[in-house]
Amino acid sequence: MLAAQLAATRTLARRACSARATQSLLHTCARTSLRQTSRPVHPTLFQATRSLAARRGYADAAGSKYSRAKPHLNIGTIGHVDHGKTTLTAAITKVLAEEGGAKFTDYAEIDKAPEEKARGITINSTHIEYESSNRHYGHIDCPGHADYIKNMITGAAQMDGAIVVVSATDGQMPQTREHLLLARQVGVKKLVVFINKVDMISDTEMLELVDMEMRDLLSTYNFDGENTPIIMGSALAALEGRDEEIGKKKVLELVQACDEWLDVPPRDLDKPFLLPIEDVFSIAGRGTVVTGRAERGTINKGDEVEIIGLGTKIKTTLTGIESFHKELDRGEAGDNMGALLRGIKREDVQRGQVLVATGSIKAVKTFQAQIYVLTKDEGGRYTPFMASYQPQIFIRTADISTSLQWPEGTADAEDKMVMPGDNVEMVCKLFHDVAAEPGTRFTIREGGKTRSWNTRRASSCGGHASSSC
Amino acid sequence: MFAHAAGRRAACLAAARSYSTPAKPSIKLVAELRKRTEVSIAKAHQALAATNNDVPAALAWLEKDLQVSGLAKAAKVQDRDASQGLVGTAVLARGPASADPADTAGNGLRAALVELNCETDFVARGELFATLLADIAHTAAFLTDPAPASAGLIQPLQTEALLEAPLLSAADPYGAAGKASQTIAGAMRDLTAKVGEKISLRRAAAVAREPPVPLATRALRLAHYLHGSVGRPTQGRIAGLVVTSLSTPPAPSPSLADLLSRPEFSADLDKLERALARQVVGFETKSIRSAEKDEAALYQQSFMMYPGANGENVEAVLRRWAKERGMVAEAEGETHGGLEVLEFAKWTVGVYN
Repeated sequence: MLAAQLAATRTLARRACSARATQSLLHTCARTSLRQTSRPVHPTLFQATRSLAARRGYADAAGSKYSRAKPHLNIGTIGHVDHGKTTLTAAITKVLAEEGGAKFTDYAEIDKAPEEKARGITINSTHIEYESSNRHYGHIDCPGHADYIKNMITGAAQMDGAIVVVSATDGQMPQTREHLLLARQVGVKKLVVFINKVDMISDTEMLELVDMEMRDLLSTYNFDGENTPIIMGSALAALEGRDEEIGKKKVLELVQACDEWLDVPPRDLDKPFLLPIEDVFSIAGRGTVVTGRAERGTINKGDEVEIIGLGTKIKTTLTGIESFHKELDRGEAGDNMGALLRGIKREDVQRGQVLVATGSIKAVKTFQAQIYVLTKDEGGRYTPFMASYQPQIFIRTADISTSLQWPEGTADAEDKMVMPGDNVEMVCKLFHDVAAEPGTRFTIREGGKTRSWNTRRASSCGGHASSSC
Repeated sequence: MFAHAAGRRAACLAAARSYSTPAKPSIKLVAELRKRTEVSIAKAHQALAATNNDVPAALAWLEKDLQVSGLAKAAKVQDRDASQGLVGTAVLARGPASADPADTAGNGLRAALVELNCETDFVARGELFATLLADIAHTAAFLTDPAPASAGLIQPLQTEALLEAPLLSAADPYGAAGKASQTIAGAMRDLTAKVGEKISLRRAAAVAREPPVPLATRALRLAHYLHGSVGRPTQGRIAGLVVTSLSTPPAPSPSLADLLSRPEFSADLDKLERALARQVVGFETKSIRSAEKDEAALYQQSFMMYPGANGENVEAVLRRWAKERGMVAEAEGETHGGLEVLEFAKWTVGVYN
């Protein structure tokens, strides 16, 4: 009976899944490999994506198969234009290519920063990949602050760590502060510093000074200034294959520092269980079943779970899991599943709520978010809007009216506009509560148009304090 | 953590002391010079070496060198593309206000609009860039000669001429700090030397006008709005500047001076003018009026940025606003008095037409 009901929703669930897969197909080859790796590691989804990819014929073009043996990490380079960001990136690919972990990408290729469209949004960025002996890296390089922010908001390539490049001749520059602020803003918690062009400085004490100043600055911006690895070398020497001591060796040392110091983000499977509810059924003799695609974590039959959001917070027990007509003892991220709940009436549950591991996430009504407003060309609004604008917000399967306000203390808040193409930080005041936490992505729409892509900011969570369930 | 860092520094310094000969620049002094001037490590080192570790002399050496190295650096980045940056405004006098409508010095208009470019938005977000832009805008507003009544209100300035003008400080307009005078071009080269990016003055315009006579029945007012500010509200990615003219019919209507002296009138006027500036920034606006139907003509646009507009267009709102405040009178089939937009400017970084 449960199986029959599920079959009816299967098509729907599948459609949702393939929509995701096709979405990633819209991007370039390099981008797709990056994106796939940050996806939930689940065999069915991966196979689906891969077979679709094969049909388009570019998995062959790439020539090799992506291996999941090593954990993946996205890192970016930030630094002043003349300090050798691009040279360093080229040098890393050259040195690692010798070890068989990369394809050499030369300076000109990296420097182009092609304009690409991620989910319809134009971003200037370069993506390359390489691997060390125990990790696979996606490397991002963008020309400006706004591009990194867009990358974060669209989730095109969330930076998990960064390499700050500073020239030994100049030392840190006035804009180095802005670079560190950016890293904070996009959620980077740990950095590695590369002090470049050391062959131009003969006095080792001066190098000490660069090191010292950098550690001070890192501490000022709440990074671990004391323990952050700082590598001194010459990217150019590595690229030109001379002075191995300051060239190749230092680049390898840098990669090793990244391996050891930067943390791999937890995989979706390792996170607490969360299932966005797509549909609810009542099955005579058995009870209420909710269906959806598990977003993260794993769950076992008999586990305690919670249903939260849209004014509800109910504790219950999972008495059965079913996927594609078969009963399971354990469900995991990526599964399209039906979950049988003990003692729950059909009208207690609805689409938009989430089924989660007890206590793992809270429902909030108010939160602060970083928002990017699509331009006219990207399919967004034509005109500006002001505070108190009321669009629909889409978080997972939930669709809730919200009002957007400026954070408290914003100057001239009553006549400040938001225009298409803006990156802004605003407070979302939802009409109903919904499960969300720092980093949760959502879209805002009005009249069927996606207005903006956004992500909940990690640093400023007005939502936690003012939320009510 | 800080204690540890201090310890590290002390250790370094001790090491520096024990190794260095008198002629060798000490690392401590290099650090001090860097704190005070934001020069590169190599430069600070060179300055101390040239002056035998004498900090005041090294500072003087750096000041002199900045001109040379600034020129060299500016020449090096000359061909690069500077397409980021900010538009800055300086409004020194925006027409009569309620505070003291008879204060004739403040009754004229004096303001400037300046676009300064750099290579990355990182630099544009920084304090050094913002300060320079504020100073240039202030200088442009301050130095422009009042234009005759027959000329246009918002006058484009020759950037070549402006570059050679002495830079005035917006924060310290009377130069109490006693800083040696420097040209705008020189200050831009200094910034290039500090941040290593091409800095260019893309365009500048100013409004400078004596108050109209007779003041009792006519006035010019200026409003501005900046969009996409990072730090300072006077700078942003898009700037709108709107000049309006106010006039009142002869008695028995209330005179303009009389109206302006009422605080609520002034407050309403401020709101309306700011809404006009916002309208110009927020919507594609190319002209004030148009004989044909044209969405880019300000007067024909639905006045979305004015809270009390109720779907009316800009022209209708302005007419109603003036009428409600007794600024308009009909005499011999002609309308006297009212409020109209004379000129506007809208500048967006990187958008030129």
